[in-house]
Amino acid sequence: MSLSTAIVIKKSFWAYGTMLGKFLSAGCLGILLGLFVTFVEIEQGKGFVAIEAGPWTGWPRSEASVIDPFSRAILVYSGKIALSESEAMSFVAHSDSDGAEFNSACDYVVKGEIPPARYWTLTLLSPAGALIANPAERQGFTSSELLRTSDGQFEIALSRHARPGNWLPLDRASKFILVLRFYDSELSAPATALDAAHMPVIVKGRCE
Amino acid sequence: MNRLDRLLAALLWLLGILAVAGITLIVAIFVLPEVAAKDTYARILALAKPGQAALLPPARPDTQFMPFADPAMVQSVCPFDLADGGLRLHADVEADKLLSLSFRTSGGQVFYSMTDLAAQQGKIDVVVLTPAQLEVVEADDDEDDPSQDLRLIAPETMGYVIISSLAAYPGERAEAEERVKSVACSVEQVAQE
Repeated sequence: MSLSTAIVIKKSFWAYGTMLGKFLSAGCLGILLGLFVTFVEIEQGKGFVAIEAGPWTGWPRSEASVIDPFSRAILVYSGKIALSESEAMSFVAHSDSDGAEFNSACDYVVKGEIPPARYWTLTLLSPAGALIANPAERQGFTSSELLRTSDGQFEIALSRHARPGNWLPLDRASKFILVLRFYDSELSAPATALDAAHMPVIVKGRCE
Repeated sequence: MNRLDRLLAALLWLLGILAVAGITLIVAIFVLPEVAAKDTYARILALAKPGQAALLPPARPDTQFMPFADPAMVQSVCPFDLADGGLRLHADVEADKLLSLSFRTSGGQVFYSMTDLAAQQGKIDVVVLTPAQLEVVEADDDEDDPSQDLRLIAPETMGYVIISSLAAYPGERAEAEERVKSVACSVEQVAQE
């Protein structure tokens, strides 16, 4: 092998090396981008099957096979699959009826109409789905234990300070969401056309 | 290489990157639920053996078995492995007390669910079987005295049943626990062909 052939071989080897490097870095960049988009979509997305009614977002109580893989990934990731697939039809609210995100420095009142169900519960959770500790050890209400007015109406007060009647304590430091669950309800029917007027409203009160 | 060549080459690389990103996105979307479901099933098996029911620990601010649990719900889980035989569930239903059962594959997909409203004469009797086991059981049926069991075919041999009841008042928690614990879960021997 002459010296010149050796140099040519070496050169082409280098060219091949940089080409491979380019391919690898493009591949890595692509994978990173793909994972990033997946993360953002799953974190922010609601999927294709979500039902919206006022501040509430619900997922049909599906026999999971009818859910598209995208919605399924979102539900699994958020832990909400446990809700949507179990016995209840569930709705989550991250904001009040005016669309403003919940702020634990403010008072809120949940009131109004509620769709018919054998039982329903309203629970206050952290955005990750954990219960929030409070001295009153009160994390939610069931439809049975609520105090109601004589005409059957109810009001649930969310506040850092004790309130008469139905009071859900807020923690100053914690972000929160509300979860409304209907057990044994006609709402389980697929493609429920839910009218926001038939769901409770969440009204913001005084803020500190 | 002139400017146009460079531009075209850069565009080609960009397309390549986008294609890889797209494939990653699709794969991740499909793989994620599988991984999460395996994790859930492993945690359930750590709590109870197949054919045995175990109460899920109540959700508290510092500990929780699953996120987004309803603190008013009392739940137990009964895993099954149909390779060992069918799974029999029996429940005596109290009037007007919510009791619900959901039957799921190990991947977490619900294949059947029912509440106490579906009870026959105050009782719920369910047998979960594989298609082959169902044939054996049906061959043994007495035509004059048909079985009252609800027979379900599981799409997979492994899975679990979630049994839930609601404590409508905080003071009813112990009662709801008793109700959930009274649901009996056992392995039903099915003669092999």
